[in-house]
Amino acid sequence: MVVSAGGTPPARPQVRALNCPHCGAALTLRSFGNAVTVVCESCHSILDAKDANLQILQQFKASEDEKPLIPLGTRGKIRGIEYEVIGFQRRTIHVDGVPYSWHEYVLFNPYKGFRYLTEYNGHWNDCSTLKALPEILPYSPPKVRYLGETYKHFQTAKAGTSFVLGEFPWQVRVGETAVVTDYVSPPRVLSSEQTGQEVTWSMGEYMSGKDVWKAFHLPGDPPEAVGVYENQPSPVSSEAATIWAAFAAFLLLLVLTMSAFDLSAGKAQVFTGYFKFNSNQRGDSSFVTDEFEIRGHTSNVEVDTSTDLNNRWIYLNYALINEDTGQAFDFGREVSYYHGYDSDGSWSEGNANDSVAVPKVPPGRYYLRVEPEGDPGYGVTYYTVTIRRDVPQYSLYALAFGALLLPAIVVTWRSLSFEHLRWAESDHPPISLNVGDDE
Amino acid sequence: MIRTLYILYGTAVLLGLSVAQYQGWSLATVNEVKNVPRSVRDNPGSYRSVYSAYHHYTGGK
Repeated sequence: MVVSAGGTPPARPQVRALNCPHCGAALTLRSFGNAVTVVCESCHSILDAKDANLQILQQFKASEDEKPLIPLGTRGKIRGIEYEVIGFQRRTIHVDGVPYSWHEYVLFNPYKGFRYLTEYNGHWNDCSTLKALPEILPYSPPKVRYLGETYKHFQTAKAGTSFVLGEFPWQVRVGETAVVTDYVSPPRVLSSEQTGQEVTWSMGEYMSGKDVWKAFHLPGDPPEAVGVYENQPSPVSSEAATIWAAFAAFLLLLVLTMSAFDLSAGKAQVFTGYFKFNSNQRGDSSFVTDEFEIRGHTSNVEVDTSTDLNNRWIYLNYALINEDTGQAFDFGREVSYYHGYDSDGSWSEGNANDSVAVPKVPPGRYYLRVEPEGDPGYGVTYYTVTIRRDVPQYSLYALAFGALLLPAIVVTWRSLSFEHLRWAESDHPPISLNVGDDE
Repeated sequence: MIRTLYILYGTAVLLGLSVAQYQGWSLATVNEVKNVPRSVRDNPGSYRSVYSAYHHYTGGK
């Protein structure tokens, strides 16, 4: 049927009313003769919809709690096309003796035909049968390619039909089985169903329960999705790649920033002095240096101490004092250098030189108070103190590098965890799970 | 969403780093003392260093 050029909308599909030959209950046929079988909701007789007398093909006993989440007859729009729910079935696989069931809804549009919705633990898929066969690739584990996209094998299992309701475009039976093989490339899944020599391929695309509820205008909230489903798109996998790309860009900016500061930093030497400390002499060892000027903006001041220590230590109490304001930056530095030779070979510990950056020193006139300490008996230690202002601190770049790297690692870890949960349910679980199973 | 947040975060980190470098931040432990008397210049021993009570290293391996 073709829509007229005048744009007159097609007449709303009408249903055909019949009665069940077994219990007499009214039957509703919504698929205009496209159904092959129809199931009586009252007595659960599976009837031949192609037979004028609705021949009974099978009867089964159903549990009371089998109610479709989307009632039969509900209409909703999938990809902008209105479909009506005409059939519902529950299918079950057994893995290690544990049954896992999912539900399938048959959707029908008189112009577009059939499509399916599947639901497992709150995860939904919009499915339709394929028009062409996927290409099976010679890999282990197997992969298939369809429309340029490669799908990885997820699971192969024997699925049995355990409950049916409504209309079906095939000869449905409770108890019938098919070998179902799923290949995934989130958010899509390719499924093959083999019954005897017949293989049917379909493609599903992940849908959230919220989207299904919205499409069918269902009241309330959809059931909460439990766990990670085989083709559920990871909320972070696509983000991980873009975050690493952003990290690379930030790393480049970090190097540029480092170069810019390194080139523009003053690193100006504002003081240097050569001193002697005799630890054998008793009394106050403190002294002050000549006054020196620190110019420019507030910046760090690096104090370098270079000594002639040899298997000794010296402790230097420093105070960088502003002549005008009386503000002092007080800090202590231990400088020690030991070396020797023992049964393990030669060893050394410490360093005869030391460097420290005093943070945020305002410009002004300063002098340095020095109070050296050392073990009596060590004798004379010669040391040089050199002061520079505005010296780039590479430790800050290392901190920034860590701060930029951390989120990328967290997102990658979350992405890997998600994939771990996904594949834990497959025929190819991650290696760690195999180890656990063996134990 | 995460990407946008990361770009904002990364930009903040680089801006913070630039400010820290310009103002001369450092990871060193330094004690700031106010109003040191001018007399210290002539009598260095009158100043008591915060770190003078530090327990010093006494030997190598």
